[in-house]
Amino acid sequence: MKNSMKHALVAAGLAAAATLAAPVAQAQVCSVWLVENSRFMGVPFGAFMPDRAFVPGSTSPSNNINTVDLPVNVGVIKCGNELILYDAGWNQTEYHKMTGTAHWSPLSKQIEQIGFKAADVKKIIVGHGHWDHAGSLDEFPNAVLYIQREELRGIEWALNYPHPRISAVNDSPGSCARTPACGYPSKTMDSIYGKVLRGKAVIVDGEMDVLPGVKIHPAFRAHTAGSQLLEVNTAIGKLMFGSDAYSSWEGIRDWQIANPQQTDTVQQFLAYEKCYKITGGYQNCVCAHEPLSYSDKYPLTKNSWVGMNGGRLAEITLAPGEKSRKP
Amino acid sequence: MQTEVSESQRTARAAALKGFSVGVVVVGLIALVAVAAIRETAKPRQVEVATNSAFGHSERPPMTAAEETYAHALWPVHAQVKQDAVKMTFAGLAYKMGDIKRAAVKDRVALLTPKFESALTEINKLQPPASMRELHSEYVEAIKLYRDASVIMVKVAADGRDVHLAEAQERSERASTLTLKVGDTLWPGEYKPN
Repeated sequence: MKNSMKHALVAAGLAAAATLAAPVAQAQVCSVWLVENSRFMGVPFGAFMPDRAFVPGSTSPSNNINTVDLPVNVGVIKCGNELILYDAGWNQTEYHKMTGTAHWSPLSKQIEQIGFKAADVKKIIVGHGHWDHAGSLDEFPNAVLYIQREELRGIEWALNYPHPRISAVNDSPGSCARTPACGYPSKTMDSIYGKVLRGKAVIVDGEMDVLPGVKIHPAFRAHTAGSQLLEVNTAIGKLMFGSDAYSSWEGIRDWQIANPQQTDTVQQFLAYEKCYKITGGYQNCVCAHEPLSYSDKYPLTKNSWVGMNGGRLAEITLAPGEKSRKP
Repeated sequence: MQTEVSESQRTARAAALKGFSVGVVVVGLIALVAVAAIRETAKPRQVEVATNSAFGHSERPPMTAAEETYAHALWPVHAQVKQDAVKMTFAGLAYKMGDIKRAAVKDRVALLTPKFESALTEINKLQPPASMRELHSEYVEAIKLYRDASVIMVKVAADGRDVHLAEAQERSERASTLTLKVGDTLWPGEYKPN
């Protein structure tokens, strides 16, 4: 008995030593830029963040702003020779013409401003499948899409739900913001499906290491059924892209929910917590629609400039040896 | 060379200058009022801003009554078509993700073909105003593409070849581009920033 115990301990020790000796993939240091694909203008603050609803006559900084302009931020991540997008913006020219949006340009053109071509993009990791985050996939034919299985199953579940008010993609113009199948137009879904059919998609189940130093974390129901975050190793520490699991940087800083579309607010807070844990605070959490983006008030994004059609860009951090692409 | 001017001449000149100045001011004021009146009456009618969305605003000029009637009549067809189109896409996705067998693709998609046919019948009954004839034709084209996609897609059940799925997807995506365009034009609040 004693001998077998000794053998077991020796075996365990050897295994541990072998693990330590094994070559560990070195986490790369990546460069990161942020591109404003468009801006939704004049959105009532309370519709974006319920805790910031406008109260006429209020002097409280939390409630004295009527409307905000929401950028649609897309992450451009370069790790070695690998170019990755986090989220893919949108491309609906009729929408752009008919509604209160501004500063939109095709994402494939926008990244040219920082010296990248659409054909160079090898991976697109969408935080979720909504039209304004997965709407430009067709512009990047070489890119492999990463989307959570849970996201696709969540939409399908909703579509087949027996009650029409729940299953509707939208049941009347302008009313679908919080039904579970809303926000997924057939065009966006066809683009995702096209990627799958062409062998250009990875259906992700939970966590996944995309590259050394680049890791997907699930944030299910933090905005949609299969939302996902992206951890990126950089020279300024780890960054965590949140898409709409944390749409607002002020929201994550102040622990207030934001953009509650198909959101379980507890899960959204857990996504906030994940960013705090992995990056060591809220400063390195990258938010999709923060109104303060590209200003000193959201320090991570302050190194910014104005590009085509008034859309803004920010150079967040550079890997050693990477030259600035800011004009 | 200097010219001598008498006191009475100076007084007369000052009075004339004063009168002239008053006249200029009066004429100027009259001109100002006239210009303001012309500008006011000639001011184009302010384009009303439609706010049919709780999230964001629209700069769409108001529709005419005939356009409103057409959009209202098309909406129920559009709502159902969108739903059926996404269901068709998800039949393919579920198959490719290994969640369903190819026979189930047929089971799901074959049900949709008559629904697209029915949508086509409904939309052909509509009389679009002249300003929306082009949109209407695009919508008809979109539904035909969806219907054709559904017919092609079910062939995968027979031989398991993905080429049918790809062919159907290409038609479906073209149709979706058209329905999205029509939807964004007629119902700009259809999809919210989210």
